[in-house]
Amino acid sequence: MAQAFPYTYYACNCFDSNTSGKRAAAVLQEAADEDEGTFDPRSPRANYQLYPLEHLLYCEDCQQIRCPRCQIEETLNWYCPSCLFEVPSSVVKSDGNRCNRSCFSCPLCTSPMQTFSLDPTGESGPPFILECQYCRWSTVEIGIEFEKGQGISAQLARIGNGGKPLPSHKERDKERERRKELEARKRDGRELFSPSTETTHTDKDEGPPSHDDLFASLSAFYKSQVESQTSASPFSSHDINFSSPSAYSRIMNLYSTSGPKKKQRPKPTAMREAASALEGLTLHDPSADTAAIERLKRDGWASTISPAQKRAQPNPSVRFTSDLRPLATLLCTKRSKRCRSCRQILTKPEAKITSTRYKIKLLALNHIPRLSIRALASDTPVPGSSRPPAKVFDYNALKPGIPTHFLFHMSNPLFDPIKVTLATPSTTPGKVQSRVTILCPQFDVGANTDIWDDALNMPAKRGSLLSDQAPQIEAGKIWDRGRNWTSVAVEIVPGFLDESARVEAETPGRGGPLEEDDDVLEIPVFVRIEYEADTGADERGLVDSKGGKGEKEKREEAFWTVVGVGRIKGS
Amino acid sequence: MSRPVTKKPAAKGEYIETDSGNKVSRRSAITGTANITLGGRTVIMADVVLRGDLHSTRPTASSSGKEGTPTSISIGKCTVISTGSVLKPPCRMSRGVPNFYPMKIGDNVFIGPNCVISAIAISSHVHIGANVTIHAFAVIKENVKILPNTVVPSAMVIAPGSVVGGRPAQIVGEVGEGWGVSGGGAGNGLGVGGGGEEKWVEGGDLRELVRSIK
Repeated sequence: MAQAFPYTYYACNCFDSNTSGKRAAAVLQEAADEDEGTFDPRSPRANYQLYPLEHLLYCEDCQQIRCPRCQIEETLNWYCPSCLFEVPSSVVKSDGNRCNRSCFSCPLCTSPMQTFSLDPTGESGPPFILECQYCRWSTVEIGIEFEKGQGISAQLARIGNGGKPLPSHKERDKERERRKELEARKRDGRELFSPSTETTHTDKDEGPPSHDDLFASLSAFYKSQVESQTSASPFSSHDINFSSPSAYSRIMNLYSTSGPKKKQRPKPTAMREAASALEGLTLHDPSADTAAIERLKRDGWASTISPAQKRAQPNPSVRFTSDLRPLATLLCTKRSKRCRSCRQILTKPEAKITSTRYKIKLLALNHIPRLSIRALASDTPVPGSSRPPAKVFDYNALKPGIPTHFLFHMSNPLFDPIKVTLATPSTTPGKVQSRVTILCPQFDVGANTDIWDDALNMPAKRGSLLSDQAPQIEAGKIWDRGRNWTSVAVEIVPGFLDESARVEAETPGRGGPLEEDDDVLEIPVFVRIEYEADTGADERGLVDSKGGKGEKEKREEAFWTVVGVGRIKGS
Repeated sequence: MSRPVTKKPAAKGEYIETDSGNKVSRRSAITGTANITLGGRTVIMADVVLRGDLHSTRPTASSSGKEGTPTSISIGKCTVISTGSVLKPPCRMSRGVPNFYPMKIGDNVFIGPNCVISAIAISSHVHIGANVTIHAFAVIKENVKILPNTVVPSAMVIAPGSVVGGRPAQIVGEVGEGWGVSGGGAGNGLGVGGGGEEKWVEGGDLRELVRSIK
């Protein structure tokens, strides 16, 4: 786990959709079970429920936490993460989600590529190349040089690997038409004279058609097929783009009121599939395979590319490093988020690319108290400092069997004081059972009043409100408290790692050999908060203008959290 | 917290504090101080190397009009540069002569220990983990988190709000909307704090962290 100990994850209680198929009673039963049972941070489902508090939003209408699974995202705009220019959505639709400026990344190592001049005189003149400054791969290796330093993507589209020019779309279409005509004439004139040797010769010269060629001819073929179908149908409309025969008949069925009459209509002729190379058909050529094997024999594995590199390439059939192309940078989006159940906007960033501000931002951080844990016997280390604090608690080596004290720290972002009830299973779920005791499970946390109240009321004490004497670990008493935070002591006895075999013997299914991360001590903690809020909190301005304070309303919030304490040290 | 600290630091103090609240370690190695600007309340920890002597050698008279000391490193407010990190302005060869470009670092930037930074610009609210290398002319925008042990290749632009990691760096995620927001003004960063003293979060306002460094 990348996250450093200790950490706290919050569980979002959005329901899993796999219960929808069951009968209502079963669902209720399951819900009851879930209410009764404790949250298991090790269950596979927990992976999709636990989030750090920073990633959660809060819907004020539903009064619930909203995790990325219960949000709807709406794309505001597209931009290139490299040049930070916005790309209009029409361009994204027509040209795809890649930057068409000069942003390229290395096909080998994904770092950005830069344009350099290969001018031998030292002046920055042509020829230009793209080079990766990280792994030093450059377009020289695939035999591509550019005449200009600007407009790289337009130039790259016209140069194939090895420097041979690639035809543009128009040229491709023209060439295909020409060859089609040629073929038609050949078919017609077969009786008159034998097939001309010239044309077959030129065909062989060009070798197998490239991926782009095939795609272009295939798409042209399908377009012609669709056109021929739609022109025949009287219901053809311009807004049905993919009017294949099946779609056509489906629409006809939708609008025909009389069922039996259906048979009277002539069944639309099935669409033909591509039948020749000019229509985009590729026949498997065994010689290409043998050539590839020969090349592997000659050059070895070093000339091949990794699956990740292959996946990143626009052409999925490349195998060798000499076939690589620089990758145009993929675009990013700016998104606003809505609550999935009530559609209220949760976050809405400003539309400008360079702006990082939000117009609307409803964070769980501002509505849900933050629970954190820390070892009692430790000074908080200053990050990055060379001077180690006096006592450093090693969260990665919890001593099994030895009671250790920790502090749960609860800070309240709300403007009303809250009553908190914490609950935790006495032994942690999982193969290694650790005992957990919260010494004071019920306590109050003060309101998040103005930060200056603190300073004005008690200028001497910035932090603690209690610390006349040193705090003591005592059941039923809080450890320390401040303006809007309270901390309580927790006693944790980490379990023994080698005990799981014994547990297995007692209760089959719980123990067994330890797997990865089974030594991580995670405590599920159920948090329930109660507070009284103004009823018209949303329309506070309105209430105030009437001169009367809205009456108080009791609110309650309950959720599971998972506190990662540390890793238990093996014996 | 009010518990006694076991060992007092040296009587002289580890840091020299300037009028604007910058804290510079006595054990840091700073060259070319005239070419370095600190925004205030910025911490330079021990064994940090700031190469202020690597400034642009090009005549700048035509652009600004006045002949002043060229800036090589400018650092914003409440920025923390941890121990052992090296800040070296990026260099490019032009006509056979190495030319250095000024490096700009924004406000509330945390640079972890043992980093080597040659970025041309680092915006505000950026958190850089330990042992990170940032090659020349990289641009890091606002609200970016760089995971520990990352190598950012040269000239890479890291878009706002991304989390990057790996060698070479790749975008591995997005920081949440709550990036840099401390809960209710006094939330505790990453669960480290317990006594209400550690009031900072990654990417958030580092003023409290700066205050706690003595």
